[in-house]
Amino acid sequence: MTELLQFIITGLALGIVYALIALGFVVVWKSSGVANLALGQLVLISAWFTYSMLAQAQLPVWLGLPLVIIFALFLGWVIERIILRPLIAQPILSLITVTLGLGYFLQGLVGIIWPMSLAAMPPLFPKTPVRIGTAVVSQEYLWAAIISLVLFGLLTLYFRYNRMGIAMRAAADDQKAVQACGIPVTRIFSRSWMFACVLAAVGGVLISSIGNITVGLTHTGLQAFSVVILGGLDSLPGAIIAGPIIGLSETIGAGYLTPLTWPGIREVIPFIIIIIVMFARPYGLFGEERIERI
Amino acid sequence: MDLPAGTRNYSYAQDMAIFRTKTHWILLGVLILLLFAMPAYWHDWLSVVNRIGITIIAVMGLNILTGYCGQLSIGHAGFIAVGAYTSAILVQRFGVPFPVALICAGLFAGVVGMLFGVPSLRVKGFYLAISTIAAQFIIIWVIQHWTSVTGGFSGMDVKAASIGPMVFRSQASQYYLILIITIISVYFAKNLSRTRVGRAFIAVRDNDLAAEVMGISLFRYKLTAFFIGCFFAGVAGSLLAHTSLSISADYFPLTDSILFIGMIIIGGMGTILGPILGVIFIRLIDVLVTELSPALQNAFPNLPSGFTSGIAPLLFGLAIILFIIFEPRGLAHRWQLFKASYRLWPFSY
Amino acid sequence: MKTNRWLLLSAIFLVSILAITPLLAACGPKAQPSQVLKIGMMTPSTGPVPEKGLPGQHGIQDAIEYINTELGGAGGYPIEVLWRDSAYDMAKVGTIVQNYMNEGAILFTTHSSSEMKAAQGKANDAGFPGLATFISTMNLHPPQHIYGPTPDYGDDWVAFARYYKENVWKGTGKPKMAMHLLSGTVGQGTLDGAQAMADEIGIELVDVQNHLINTTDETASLTVIKSKNPDVLFISSVPAPTAVIIKNAKDLGMYPGITIGAASASFTKALVDLAGADVVEGVYGVFHTVSWDDDVPGVAKAKEYVMKNHPEDYGNMDYFSTWSTTLIIREILELAVKNVGYDVLAKGDAAAWKAVEEQGIQKLKGYTVEGLQGGTVTYTPGDNRLNKFLRIYQIQDGKIVALGDWQEAPLIKYAAYGDQ
Repeated sequence: MTELLQFIITGLALGIVYALIALGFVVVWKSSGVANLALGQLVLISAWFTYSMLAQAQLPVWLGLPLVIIFALFLGWVIERIILRPLIAQPILSLITVTLGLGYFLQGLVGIIWPMSLAAMPPLFPKTPVRIGTAVVSQEYLWAAIISLVLFGLLTLYFRYNRMGIAMRAAADDQKAVQACGIPVTRIFSRSWMFACVLAAVGGVLISSIGNITVGLTHTGLQAFSVVILGGLDSLPGAIIAGPIIGLSETIGAGYLTPLTWPGIREVIPFIIIIIVMFARPYGLFGEERIERI
Repeated sequence: MDLPAGTRNYSYAQDMAIFRTKTHWILLGVLILLLFAMPAYWHDWLSVVNRIGITIIAVMGLNILTGYCGQLSIGHAGFIAVGAYTSAILVQRFGVPFPVALICAGLFAGVVGMLFGVPSLRVKGFYLAISTIAAQFIIIWVIQHWTSVTGGFSGMDVKAASIGPMVFRSQASQYYLILIITIISVYFAKNLSRTRVGRAFIAVRDNDLAAEVMGISLFRYKLTAFFIGCFFAGVAGSLLAHTSLSISADYFPLTDSILFIGMIIIGGMGTILGPILGVIFIRLIDVLVTELSPALQNAFPNLPSGFTSGIAPLLFGLAIILFIIFEPRGLAHRWQLFKASYRLWPFSY
Repeated sequence: MKTNRWLLLSAIFLVSILAITPLLAACGPKAQPSQVLKIGMMTPSTGPVPEKGLPGQHGIQDAIEYINTELGGAGGYPIEVLWRDSAYDMAKVGTIVQNYMNEGAILFTTHSSSEMKAAQGKANDAGFPGLATFISTMNLHPPQHIYGPTPDYGDDWVAFARYYKENVWKGTGKPKMAMHLLSGTVGQGTLDGAQAMADEIGIELVDVQNHLINTTDETASLTVIKSKNPDVLFISSVPAPTAVIIKNAKDLGMYPGITIGAASASFTKALVDLAGADVVEGVYGVFHTVSWDDDVPGVAKAKEYVMKNHPEDYGNMDYFSTWSTTLIIREILELAVKNVGYDVLAKGDAAAWKAVEEQGIQKLKGYTVEGLQGGTVTYTPGDNRLNKFLRIYQIQDGKIVALGDWQEAPLIKYAAYGDQ
C-alpha cells in the first residue's frame, strides 16, 4: 500500500510537468495549426540559457529568470518571423518538417555554445523533500504543479476572454476568414510562438532542476506528444488532465507490470497509450473532431 | 517540354517510355557503366557509397508512403530494424539462405508496417506522425528486451550475405549486391508510380475524401502504401545487417527516422529522383563533417571545442529549413528546371 | 527571381564543396611522405553521449601529443591518429572502421562498448585488431580480434561484490543486492557478470531495473527496489542517470542506509558535479585506473597536459581512461616495431594487422602504463582483457578516494556467448 501511494504521488508529479510542456504544444496548434516537433529542443536551449545566466554569469535569481523569459519571448518571435512566416498556408507536411529542421538546428547551436553537454542546474528550490503520508516527493515537483496550474489558468482565461485570445482560436479555424475580418494573422502566429517558447522555458528550468541539463531533455518533447494525443491537440484542459494520466500509468506500470513483462516497461507505456488512443478515440479525450468537406 | 524539339510520339508506348530518345539511352548506358566501374576508381569510398545505396532503398520506400501516398511516417528506422532482425534471425538461427531471408525481411517488415498503419484510416497528418514515432519506440523496445530471440542489448553477429557459393564479403562485392538491389528498387518505384496503384496513391495524398468518393478504397490503398513502403525498409534492413556483420538496436535511432524525412524533403517529395538526390546530399554532408572536423580541429586549434560537434546538426537543420522555405519542391525540381533551361537555351522559354 | 539566383549559386557552391572534399580527403593523406604508424581512434563526441566522448577525445589528442613530442613516438616512429567522431551512430561506426582498414590503419579503438559492438562484426571478419576503452562482456566473448585495455563491465560487478562482501557487509547469510542498469551494452555487461558470478561470491540478486539514458526521475523503480529491502544497490550506467538515481534514493530515504556502488562508466567527476557532493557522499565506485590524486608519474604528465590543453577536463576519468589506453597502444606498437620491423606495419594490410596482434598485443607483458593502472598489462592466451585489475573508490567530501588494494578479476566463462 505504501508503494501504491508513492507511485500515485510520483506519477501525478511527473505528469504535471509533462502537462506543462504539452501546453506549449497546444498553444501553437490551437492558434496556427502548426505541429511543433522542436518542443524538446526548445526546452533544451532554454535550460542551457538559464544555466548561463545563473551559473556562468552568476546573476541572482530575480534577475536571471526574467532574462530567461525575455530570451524565450525573443526566441519565439525570431522563430516565427524567420522560419514560419514564409510558410503560412503551406501544406501541413512542410510545417511539421520545418520544425524537425528547427530542432536539429537548435541542437547544433546548443552543441556549439555549450560544449560541456552536461551540467547541474543551480538549486532554485529547497532540497528537503516533502512527505505526504508515507510517500515522498521533492519540492521541485510541488512548484512545478503550482506553476503549471497557474499558467493553465492564465492561458484558459486568455483564450476565452481576451480579444487576441479569441482571435487566435479563430485563426486556427480559418486563417483567411480571420484576415478578412481585419485581424493580423501574422501577429497571432508571432504571439503563439512567443507563448510556446515561454512555456518551454519554464518547463526547461523545472525539468532540469529535477534531473540535470543533458541532451536527454529533448526526449521530454516526445513524452509531451503522448500527453497531447491523449488529451486532444487543441485542448488546454485536455493537456492538464492527460499529463497526470500518462504520469500515473508510467509509475504504476513500472511498479506492477515490470515483474510480468521485461524490465524497462516504463519506457514504452506512453507510446502504447498513443497507439491505443489512435484506435479508440483518435482525437483524444477533449480534442475537437474536425469534420472535413471536399 | 520534357522532350527535345522535333521528337514526336506516334504511339502510346512511345508516350509512356521513360527513356525516349537515343541520347537518353546513351546517358543511361554511361551512368550504369560508371556505377558498375565505381570500385575501380573510388575504392576507398565504397563503404560510404554502400551506406548511401542502402539508405536509398529505405528512403525510396518512405517516399512511396509519404511522398506519393501522403502518409507521414517518422518511424521508418523501426521498420528497417524489423527487416534487419528478421533476416538476421532467419539466417543465423534457422539457416535460411540469404535471398530467401531478404524477401522474408521485406514481407515481415511490410506486415508490421501495415499493422501500425491501421490508424491511418482514421487519422492523418500529425496524429499519424506521432503514432509512427510510437511504432518506432515499441519495435526497438521489443528488440532490446526479447533477449532469447534477438540477443537483447548484446545484439547479434550476422553472417555475410551469400547467394549459393558466392559470399559478399569484400567491399566491392557488397557494392555490386547493393547496387543491383537499388536499381531494381528504383525501377520498381518508378513504374509503381505510373500504374493504377500509384495514381490511386497520389489521389489519396491530394485529398483522401475526394479519392474515396471517386471509388478509391482508402483501406486498401493506404495499407498497400504502408506495406510497400515498409517492404523497402525491410529489404534495406536485411542488406544493412548482412553487410555490417553485426546488428544491435542502436543501429536504428529515432534521429535516423527524422533524417529520412529530411532526405525526401530536400530531394523532392513525390518524385523518384528526389529521394536519391536527397540521400546523397545528406549522407555527403555527414561524411564531409566527419572527415573534415579532425582537419578543422588541427588547422584551427582555437575553435571552441563544441564547434566541430555542433556544426553537423546545425548545418543539417539549416539545410532542411532553407529547402522548405526556398525550394519546397526539392533538388529534383531544381534538376528539372536545369534540364528545361538546357533544352531551351538560348531562349528562356 | 533574385532569391532563386542566390539559391542556385549557393547550391553550386555546396555541391562543388561536396564533390571536391572526398577527392581532397582521398588524395591528401597519400600525398604526404610519411614514416608514421597510422591508427584509427573514434569517440562519440556528438550525439547522445558527448559528455563521455569529448573528454575521451581530448585524452587521446593530448596523449598522442605527449607520445610524439616527449617519448619519440613508438619504436622511433611517430604515431598518426585518424580520429573520427562516431556521433554514437552505429551504421556510421561501420563505415568509419571500413575506412580505417582502407586507409592503412594498423589497429583501431572505440570509446564505448556499443560502438565496438557495431565495429566488431567487420573487424573480426577481416582480422583487424581493435580495443575499446570501456568494454563489455559481449565484445570479448568468445575472444577474437577485439581486446580490452581494461577489465569489462562484468568484472566491475565482480570486483565490487567481492569488496562489499569482505569489507562492508556486516550481516549474516547472503547480502541482498538490487541492480539499476542502463538499457544498453553497459547494463547488459554488468548483468552478465552478476548472473554468472552471484552464486559463487554469495550474493542474492533481488531485483533488476532498467533505465534510459535521458531519465529524469526514477522514483517509481526505486520504490519497487525499496520494497524488496536490499542491502546494496549497484548502478551500472553513465553519470547523468546515476546522479538522478542517487538523488531519488536520497529523497526516498533509502540512502544513506543501503550501500550504493557505481560501475566504471559512471564513476567520474561529472557524477559528483551533477548530483552534488553532499548527495553522493559515501557512494562506492569501481574504476580501472588510478585517480587524479594518486602520486604516480603518469598522473603528473596527464595533469600537465590537461592543464595546458583542456583544463575543463581536469578530474575527468574518461580523459584518463583514453590517456592510458593510448599509452598501452604505444606499447603495443613499440613491441610490434621491435619484433617485425616498421616495413611490415607500414603496409597497413592484413599482414600488418596480424603482426600487430600476434607480435604486439599478444606479446604484452608486465607493462605498467606509467603507474596509471593496477597490476601490469599482460596478455594471457584465451583472455582478451589486457589488464585484469580494478580498484574500489569512494566519494569522500566530494573527492574520489581510493580504498584498499587493486583486485584481480578472474576470467568468467559466459555460456550465453558460447564460451567453453
